[in-house]
Amino acid sequence: MRVFVSGLRKLVGRPASFVTLGLLAGLLVLIIVATAAVSTRDPSPAAQARALVLVRFPGAYDLILQFILGLGGLFAVIYGAAIAGSEWGWGTLKNAVARGESRTRYLLLTFAAIAVMVAVGLAITFVVGIAAAIVGANIAGVPTTGLTDAATLNRMPAQFVRGWFAVIEEASLGFAIATLARSQLAGIGAGIAFYFGETFARLFLPDVVKYLPFAVAQASLDTSASGNLGGGPGGGGAAGITSLPPDTALLLVAAWLIGSLLVAVVYTERAEITG
Amino acid sequence: MTVSPDLALATRDLRKSYGSRVALAGLDLSVPTGVVYGFLGPNGAGKTTTMRLLTGLLHPDSGSIHLLGSPFARGDRRRLFRVGALVESPSFYPYLNGRQNLHALAATGAPVPKNRVEELLELVGLRDRATDKVSGYSLGMKQRLGIAGALLSDPQLLLLDEPANGLDPAGIVAMRETLRHLATIGKTVFVSSHLLAEIQVMADVVGIIAAGRLVREGTMQELLGSQQVVRVRVPRDASVAAIDLLGPIGAATVGAAGAPEADPDAVWLSVPAALNRAAEINRVLASGGIYASGLESGSDLEMLFLELTGGEPVAGSEGTFQGIGTASR
Repeated sequence: MRVFVSGLRKLVGRPASFVTLGLLAGLLVLIIVATAAVSTRDPSPAAQARALVLVRFPGAYDLILQFILGLGGLFAVIYGAAIAGSEWGWGTLKNAVARGESRTRYLLLTFAAIAVMVAVGLAITFVVGIAAAIVGANIAGVPTTGLTDAATLNRMPAQFVRGWFAVIEEASLGFAIATLARSQLAGIGAGIAFYFGETFARLFLPDVVKYLPFAVAQASLDTSASGNLGGGPGGGGAAGITSLPPDTALLLVAAWLIGSLLVAVVYTERAEITG
Repeated sequence: MTVSPDLALATRDLRKSYGSRVALAGLDLSVPTGVVYGFLGPNGAGKTTTMRLLTGLLHPDSGSIHLLGSPFARGDRRRLFRVGALVESPSFYPYLNGRQNLHALAATGAPVPKNRVEELLELVGLRDRATDKVSGYSLGMKQRLGIAGALLSDPQLLLLDEPANGLDPAGIVAMRETLRHLATIGKTVFVSSHLLAEIQVMADVVGIIAAGRLVREGTMQELLGSQQVVRVRVPRDASVAAIDLLGPIGAATVGAAGAPEADPDAVWLSVPAALNRAAEINRVLASGGIYASGLESGSDLEMLFLELTGGEPVAGSEGTFQGIGTASR
């Protein structure tokens, strides 16, 4: 428990936490508001309607969560990599091990702290996204009567948990990569490469990519009631991409999460800690 | 293999290689309880590898480690609850302040009493800077914080790797007094260092490692007693004649550790001889028409270190000889 609480304190004070949250929320607001503002100039009613899905409630709830999941996936992998990599780079893992701390426990509790931070970040970003959507809806003249749709609001907690689970899976990927690389920068670089590599690979190997971590994270949200943004991890990729059913995707999310943490733990347990 | 229960730390035939490079080739250390143990060796001799093995950061290829009377192997991490360590450079979260870093460290390993962090900040003189981010600390301040971190769990055995790095003279004196105090209350302090003079005044027992093996271990008195040297400064052009004259006393060598030689026309000779033979050496030289412009005698850990590790004496490096005038120690 001490390690977990300490891990949380460390993350709360860490600039990377604020920068990641600020960037994600800022981008989300920018995209939603800009899309709504520009869509009014589109002469085609069909194109306008497509552009305004992000600000039309109640569907906007799911779509904003999907959007956060897509864009947030990149930020999550970077965040996870930054935290794990710095433990090696700064030598703080060395300190803990030299004090007799269990490597496995330290690693898993550090990740547990990340998971809590992700939940808080996701909640804040979601609220900011909804606020931006309301602003966007007003700019575009879209009514916000669906904002209080009871059926959607009842589904949101479960959706939120799915979304959180998906984002921590993405963070675990960065966490594992940076652990293997023993470096923040290498972990972040490899994580970004993986993210975009998967995005591009969707164009050529959709039947394989649908099982990969970012794709399953995206597919794990149950969008049957609201439709989805489709496409790649960013949430805006090509239409018609095959993706797994949400429950299957959720199982694969769990598998990737456990697999990533297992890799990180086994590697750290066996590692010779130098430097 | 049996290890005496009086030993706070012991290694037997400890071996470690990195690929084809052998770092430790069968290290046998015996560190008694309640002493300051100076662990000396040239760069690359295996000191840091030893430290890493003793703290579970590395795993030995073979051999054994005994910590505080019990074997220490994989899975025995809890034995480190009674050990404090500062391995290599001090490592901290740069965005946290000194106090937060100590609290973060205290959250790992053995439980730490609540007020311990404040006590240690006071002890290492960082209380006034405890709320400053570590990224703004000097090397010496980080070192102080590292020593505080090593003392968090009030350890029975303290392992310190170059603890004087970056400390100012006052900090070195304070650290030395702290470590000496710890030894007097029964704790064992294992200090790896390249500051021979510092070790000479601080350590009770010394181990010298070279090429991954222990080449000498013993109390400071034993080691220094075996290494008595008289040094004499003579005109450079008379050095060969001086060596010949001093032959019956001991095989003198040119160049030695000590004060920097400012006079290019003079040279120091080191004569392995008992300290009370300084006057005799002076007389022998004078009888041969060679007049010494300087004479020193003493026991020097540095000379012993260089002899054992195959290093060359470095003129001007730190020595602990008494000043001109045949002072003996």
